[in-house]
Amino acid sequence: MIIDQKKIDEAISTIVGYGGHGMLNCVQCGACSAVCPGVKAGFPLLCRNLIRHLMYGQLEEIIEDSSSWGCQACNRCTEVCPQGVRPQEVVFAFRRYQANQLAFSTSSVTSQMNLYETGHAVYTDPREARKRVGLPEQTPTSAFDDQAKKEIQTLINNSPMGELGLF
Amino acid sequence: MAKVGVYVCHCGSNIAGVIDVAAVRDFAESLPDVVVARKDLFMCSESGQEMVKQDIRDGLVDRVVVAACTPRTHEPIFRAAIEKAGLNKYLFEMANIRDQGSWVHGHDPEGATEKAKKITASAVGKARNLEPLEDKFVPVTDAALVIGGGIGGINAALALANMGHKTYLVEKQPSIGGIMAQLDKTFPSNDCSACILTPMMVEAYSHPNIETLAYAEVEDVSGYIGNFKAKIRQKQTYVDWSKCTGCGDCTEKCPAKAPDDFNCGMSDRRAAYIMFPQAMPKKAVIDIEHCLNCAGREIGTLPKVNEKTGRPILAPCERACTAEAISRTIAHNPQGAIKEIEVGSIIVATGYQVMDKGWFKEMAPASPNVVTALQLERIISATGPTEGKLLRPSDKEKPHTITFISCMGSRDEHFHNHCSRVCCMYMIKQARLIKEKYPDMAINMHFIDVRAGGKGYNEYYVGARNLGINFFRGKVGGLEMLPDDKLRVLAYDSDTQSNIEYESDLVVLATAIELPKDATVLAQKLGLQFCGSNFFRELHPKLGPVETATEGIFLAGCCQGPKDIPNTVSQAKAAAAAAAAPLAQGQVRIEAVISEVHPEVCSGCGICIPLCPYHAINMITYADRPRAQIEMSACKGCGVCTSACPSGAIVLHGYEESQIFAQIEALTA
Repeated sequence: MIIDQKKIDEAISTIVGYGGHGMLNCVQCGACSAVCPGVKAGFPLLCRNLIRHLMYGQLEEIIEDSSSWGCQACNRCTEVCPQGVRPQEVVFAFRRYQANQLAFSTSSVTSQMNLYETGHAVYTDPREARKRVGLPEQTPTSAFDDQAKKEIQTLINNSPMGELGLF
Repeated sequence: MAKVGVYVCHCGSNIAGVIDVAAVRDFAESLPDVVVARKDLFMCSESGQEMVKQDIRDGLVDRVVVAACTPRTHEPIFRAAIEKAGLNKYLFEMANIRDQGSWVHGHDPEGATEKAKKITASAVGKARNLEPLEDKFVPVTDAALVIGGGIGGINAALALANMGHKTYLVEKQPSIGGIMAQLDKTFPSNDCSACILTPMMVEAYSHPNIETLAYAEVEDVSGYIGNFKAKIRQKQTYVDWSKCTGCGDCTEKCPAKAPDDFNCGMSDRRAAYIMFPQAMPKKAVIDIEHCLNCAGREIGTLPKVNEKTGRPILAPCERACTAEAISRTIAHNPQGAIKEIEVGSIIVATGYQVMDKGWFKEMAPASPNVVTALQLERIISATGPTEGKLLRPSDKEKPHTITFISCMGSRDEHFHNHCSRVCCMYMIKQARLIKEKYPDMAINMHFIDVRAGGKGYNEYYVGARNLGINFFRGKVGGLEMLPDDKLRVLAYDSDTQSNIEYESDLVVLATAIELPKDATVLAQKLGLQFCGSNFFRELHPKLGPVETATEGIFLAGCCQGPKDIPNTVSQAKAAAAAAAAPLAQGQVRIEAVISEVHPEVCSGCGICIPLCPYHAINMITYADRPRAQIEMSACKGCGVCTSACPSGAIVLHGYEESQIFAQIEALTA
């Protein structure tokens, strides 16, 4: 790995610019990774290790890594961090960077399309299962409410997500 | 007949967890002359001591044996207790059944119990033969000697002087101030080092109770607590300090150059020089080794006379000095002068040196752009070779990338196993000072780990990260010199488990703190001992951090082990308090356990004299013949002379033959 101060400065200003304000507080203790369900599930670049790579200016090198999308936003990392880094915000900042560079992982694109089309990030057709247990086939949610769907799409279209031109 | 009381201690589970205390007590009761044997959970507790005192007051016992722990920590407690109850304090013997029993034989309770019985029997054997002894007192000289004029020595001297004791402050350099005077700023507050040090130097130098002996070294020390005699060599300055005004004119006119040690050899000074601008005393010195003897003005010769003017031809330094402090006609003694002083206590505060970069062959020591941290300190100091401008040595250009490497020679079994304690913090300090001034400079710091354990230190370290200073976990393996005077840094980052590399303009090595070589010579003069990491050994690592094995000699600062300025000042003040104790009391107690020569038996062979580690024995004339005599206040009661005396003329009180034979008899029974 080549250490280049310009790349380090760029990585830090990018992440801080996207909301990862506490990144420079990190002393690499690893408490965040110890409690992170994403790390436990095997995503390599979350919490400590993600911050470490960013501190080395490895922004482009890891842009295609899908680990950040494995973050469940549980925020346990923020609770245990002794330095006020708020690692989840660093992960989210990195996601924003990835999204702006259109470097989504496949799984995250599917979720976002689901969100746009049904109002649910995770969606499977519920009708048959509901019918079997004697419930009305359609859920009382946005998935079957054209007005709600329209409002959600309006919100997304008018958010930074809409500016990416995915939908 | 002696009436011996034996008291066996459980020491909680320390002893009773292994040894059958009740069995030892029962056994002790059966020993000859033992009139009572008791046991207690903690003999050193108030109730334990009271039990012994009551037996004495009741007239039950007149010899006391406590079977417990080590006499090193507890003998004074029990001696004081029996003295309070009206018994001579030397009628006491301790059986160490903890350190020599339960602690070392934890795997064998039965064996440990049997051993405890033997140790106790041995103590009883000795106790039966004990005789009362009396302590003696000798008066003290109310003055102190502080060796070393750094921040430690200055603080120690000031503390003693403020308590009203006459204090001699001896410094080998022409000015006091020590290494702190070379520093630019200090962590964790970024105080200017000179700004906080200089007022203390002035205060010490002008204190009515402090006599500063600068450019002087301790030649010899003899005597003992309360009554030391020291010979101080005042080195030859070749300048009359009583006239020198410190104007510096001679230093400007002197043409001879020598490497400036104050700037760590990175610039030259003249042969006639003032150590640094804030020097205290601010006096010039002529470094005769580098002096050119201008105009043929060898020291102690008459000047040639100018035939035209009829005036003497003087050297530039002489001519420059308007105060007439320099005269090369005077036959100065190159050895200087010896000053003899008498003091009651001595504080050693001789400080440290940092390792030279030349030791580290893998770190491209030949490159001028590889510097030690102390050299960088001079580079960024306003009084340094670049007047505070951060310029790399090779081409005097501003560097763009700076590398800091920790643990050079520290935590490394090739050099020193100890941690030098201050490197992490001063590297962070230097990095912060540079980054605050030049935010676009790349600063890469390589640590095995960051040790920031002091008040405000961790905050200082995290603050450095916030400034955008890069920290890498892992030590640099090597440097490669590149054609443009840059250095390729070959490092490893254990966080990402990957090799890293980059080019650097300036590399700073945090080289280890160690004891200077000349401190070893001083140690021999003072009888100081060394610890495992080769610093002066304190009496006890926790409970005697300023005392030494020699009573009346104390330690302060880095000569005892690496420490930062706050710790050095704390230790210096503690050492001053300890050193003032004998001075304040006006007399010192001489314990009765010392050796004595029976002159009528002594043959005057003198074997004992060179054997005595405390130089306590000399020859006197007794009944017209030479006889050995022991100076009681210098004797430590080690017993070397007693065992070596071929005539059996020397008795060690408290360890007399009858007592030792009784012990052996009990152990071999």
